[in-house]
Amino acid sequence: MGLFAPWFLAGLAALGLPVWIHLLRQHKQTPKFFSSLMFFERRTQSSVKHRRLKHYLLLCLRLAVLFLLALLFANPFIERTAPAASSRKLVLIAVDHSFSMRYGEHLEQAKQQAIDIVSKLGSGDRAEVVALGSRVDLLTQPSNDRNALKAAVRSITPSDATSSYAEFARYLRALPRSTHMQVEGHLFSDMQKSSLPSSFSDLRLDDQTSLTLHSVAEPREPNWAVETVSSPPRIYGTRKARIQATVASYGAPAARRYVTLALNGRTVETKPVDIPENGRAQVTFNDIDAPYGFSRGEVRIDGNDLLSDDDRFYFSMERTDPARALFIHDARQTPEYFRSALEAASDAAFALDVVPVAQAAGVSLSRYAFVVASGIGPGLGALENSLTSYVRKGGGLFVALGPASLAAGRVPVTGDRVSESRYAAPEGDRYRNVAQTDRSYPPLAQTGPLEAVKFYQTLRVDTGDARVAARLNDGSPLLYEKRVGEGRVVVLTSTLDNISNDFPLHASFVPFVEGIARYLEGGEARSNVATVGSYIELRTAKDQAVAAEVIGPDGQRALDLKQAASAPIYQVDRAGFYDVRPANGRRQLVAVNIDRRESDLTQIPEETLALWRGGSLRPNPSPAAGNHGPELYPLWKYLLIALFAVSVAESVVANRFTLASREAPPPAARSELPVEAEREKATVGGVR
Amino acid sequence: MVLQRFLNPSVLAEISGLELVAKTVVDGFIAGLHKSPDFGFSQEFAEYRMYTPGDDLRHVDWNVYGRTDRIYLKRFRGETNTLLTLLLDASASMAFTSHQITKLDYARYLTASLAYLAHQQRDAGGLIVFDDDIRNYIRPSSRQGQLHRILHAIEHAEPGARTDFAKPFIHFQQFLFRRGIVVVVSDFYEQPKKVMETIEPLRFRGNEVVLFHVLDPEEVRPKLKGPALLVDMETEDAMEVSPDYVNHEYREKIDQHIEGLRDESNKAGVDYFLVTTDRPLDAALREYLTVRQGRM
Repeated sequence: MGLFAPWFLAGLAALGLPVWIHLLRQHKQTPKFFSSLMFFERRTQSSVKHRRLKHYLLLCLRLAVLFLLALLFANPFIERTAPAASSRKLVLIAVDHSFSMRYGEHLEQAKQQAIDIVSKLGSGDRAEVVALGSRVDLLTQPSNDRNALKAAVRSITPSDATSSYAEFARYLRALPRSTHMQVEGHLFSDMQKSSLPSSFSDLRLDDQTSLTLHSVAEPREPNWAVETVSSPPRIYGTRKARIQATVASYGAPAARRYVTLALNGRTVETKPVDIPENGRAQVTFNDIDAPYGFSRGEVRIDGNDLLSDDDRFYFSMERTDPARALFIHDARQTPEYFRSALEAASDAAFALDVVPVAQAAGVSLSRYAFVVASGIGPGLGALENSLTSYVRKGGGLFVALGPASLAAGRVPVTGDRVSESRYAAPEGDRYRNVAQTDRSYPPLAQTGPLEAVKFYQTLRVDTGDARVAARLNDGSPLLYEKRVGEGRVVVLTSTLDNISNDFPLHASFVPFVEGIARYLEGGEARSNVATVGSYIELRTAKDQAVAAEVIGPDGQRALDLKQAASAPIYQVDRAGFYDVRPANGRRQLVAVNIDRRESDLTQIPEETLALWRGGSLRPNPSPAAGNHGPELYPLWKYLLIALFAVSVAESVVANRFTLASREAPPPAARSELPVEAEREKATVGGVR
Repeated sequence: MVLQRFLNPSVLAEISGLELVAKTVVDGFIAGLHKSPDFGFSQEFAEYRMYTPGDDLRHVDWNVYGRTDRIYLKRFRGETNTLLTLLLDASASMAFTSHQITKLDYARYLTASLAYLAHQQRDAGGLIVFDDDIRNYIRPSSRQGQLHRILHAIEHAEPGARTDFAKPFIHFQQFLFRRGIVVVVSDFYEQPKKVMETIEPLRFRGNEVVLFHVLDPEEVRPKLKGPALLVDMETEDAMEVSPDYVNHEYREKIDQHIEGLRDESNKAGVDYFLVTTDRPLDAALREYLTVRQGRM
């Protein structure tokens, strides 16, 4: 036996307390006055003995409570060996049904081999069947019903998921602890190298588990696949798209393949491509015209390799009119720099409407992708209400603070207090620079260096709990963001007019404006490509009452009513197109593709497989009985039960003892005698 | 009010129709042994009293009956008046109680009721309060204000020292100048033989002695749940006792003591009456007086 926390045994020093109370401390009893002891006789033997017995019993119980408590905290354990090997064991039948198992007859072979193992089970053996993909799906409970086990194996169908051997190993490790049986694992898989975890230790097994690996793949299995397609998610106006596809070969010789681009089921163009051995080649389709709205695109290669489902790659594209943006400006603020930068940004995705602040109140903001408020001051009135409502419903607002903002004393919509206008000191450089930049902030990801920008005048704002993306060298915030309802407000504490700063003259200004525009428009959050197993965001605000909708590749609704009303995310499990309408109303067409790691059929080296099995170089060592080492079995549960029982006993005995000691008070005419429990004062009953 | 404190109206109502009549006086009257010191040999008429069933028909005034068709008894002064001396034990043990009323309080009520009865009967009453000696003495008298004096003395009787019958009874005999009734109200924590040794001389001098043995219910049937340390209220000695002894041997001993007192009293011709403080006084007195009348 050992102790996990032996230092808690210091609590045994508390055992001295009941010893002192019961044995060392003199006991005082409340005497009971009686008219005469004429007819009483001393009964020292029985009474005192009786009391002592209760004393000792109470003492022992209290000592036991303290002892058990100290021992409980010390957390003792015993070493026990695992149960001796018995003929009973649990056989785990795991069939890999990831995408790569679609290759040729891999899955059917795996299923057949699994059925053969089931047929060879001993009469006392129990087995369970699982399907391995990105997670382990339990198909049966431990059972010795061979027919049921075989039926479960036959029910396994190919999936689009990737396989994870780490997940399988984790499941295998947990089984002996939960079933208290030896486990004999059988994995039927193509032993794909890409399914290995990054850390080999994730594949470890414990001593009560044996693993047999049944590979259904051939050493060299060539495969070609469309690895990726690069297409603009959106094209605006009359622009045409440029689509680039990458074709890869895995374990395959050099070959020429024909790559076809199709939109909405209609072949647009076919091009040949020469793919090197175990290499990649790119194909570009230029000037691709797509109709207005969402288009479903597909790039596929011809060929008859045995894994044909990765020969196509889905993508989606949306043709739409340029998003409109509104620029509301103070009379002293010019919109030209911002407009020029926006127009210079790629794809011409935005058209800017410019309105002076005095005329902005009557403008309907709902049709704008985002709004810019440049240097606007106090007295916005209805305009601020409109802006606030617009942002709360999901709109994006970019505020550039100017001199008039100081007069307002606060930032529009967010209400952040503007405390002062700060000019650069007359001595020194007479300007401030950007000292800290958060490159993880999406608008700044492609901006480039900002350190060269000179800021002559900025406004000091109490940002509160806002996300600050950039700070000047005096520590004051330059760029920050606040969420308001479903939307967001991005604030620049300087102007956009080349007066308070020279930002518009720097090359970083155009990508900054484009980044702000795309970020506020929300387009960055909308991805049109995903892989099987990833998640699509359906809603952001917790109290969003609007239902979301997802139509799957089969044209059916993928969400039930409850999920539609409350689910924040949805996991895609098949390749194809998903028509998604999130709670914010911005429709997406998401093209989901197989994880291309499944296309690489390179197998795990035999040495690695041997290490995984347990160190033996034999292809399939017989299942070992297990090398059962000692197991540390904690005893805290038993100690807790014992402590509870002893505590109850102590309470009962102490309560009875207290009742026996409680006596009637003496008469009022006489005072309490400070009588000790001294037997010498007693008189044997006699005549007075 | 002192008068009212120990005179419970409900008790008095119960005993008002009863008489504490000395047997010796009745005998003496019949035998004509006693003479009135004031009137020589003649018997001075005192009053009429309504006849109640059981009264002696020899005292009926037939002349009154002939005139009124109502039966009255003649009562005479002098020989009909008896001397009642009340001895109240005020030792420390009398302060014991297991409920609201101590033995001493109960004895006070009892003594006061008897004093009142004597007063009503125009008998001379007196009081001696004692513990190990005489603490207070009210000479028996039928003068006006005697009852108040007795009740006042009863009021001021506080638990004192140890009980010792010998000393006060020796002193008491000096105060006895006439035969009468001597009522001793005590818890009698003394050997019965010793009690009789001190009391018998009173009998030999022609007094009628009545013993009221006052005990608390806890003294007769004590209850102990566990071992207890008992302290004697008179000696302050302490003793640890066990419930087992209390439930068995103690009860035997107290019963033996009570029985012993009763037997010795019977032998000595002394009236003995056991009363516990949980028993209503009126019921106890009524029972005693009724039984006593029956014996007469």
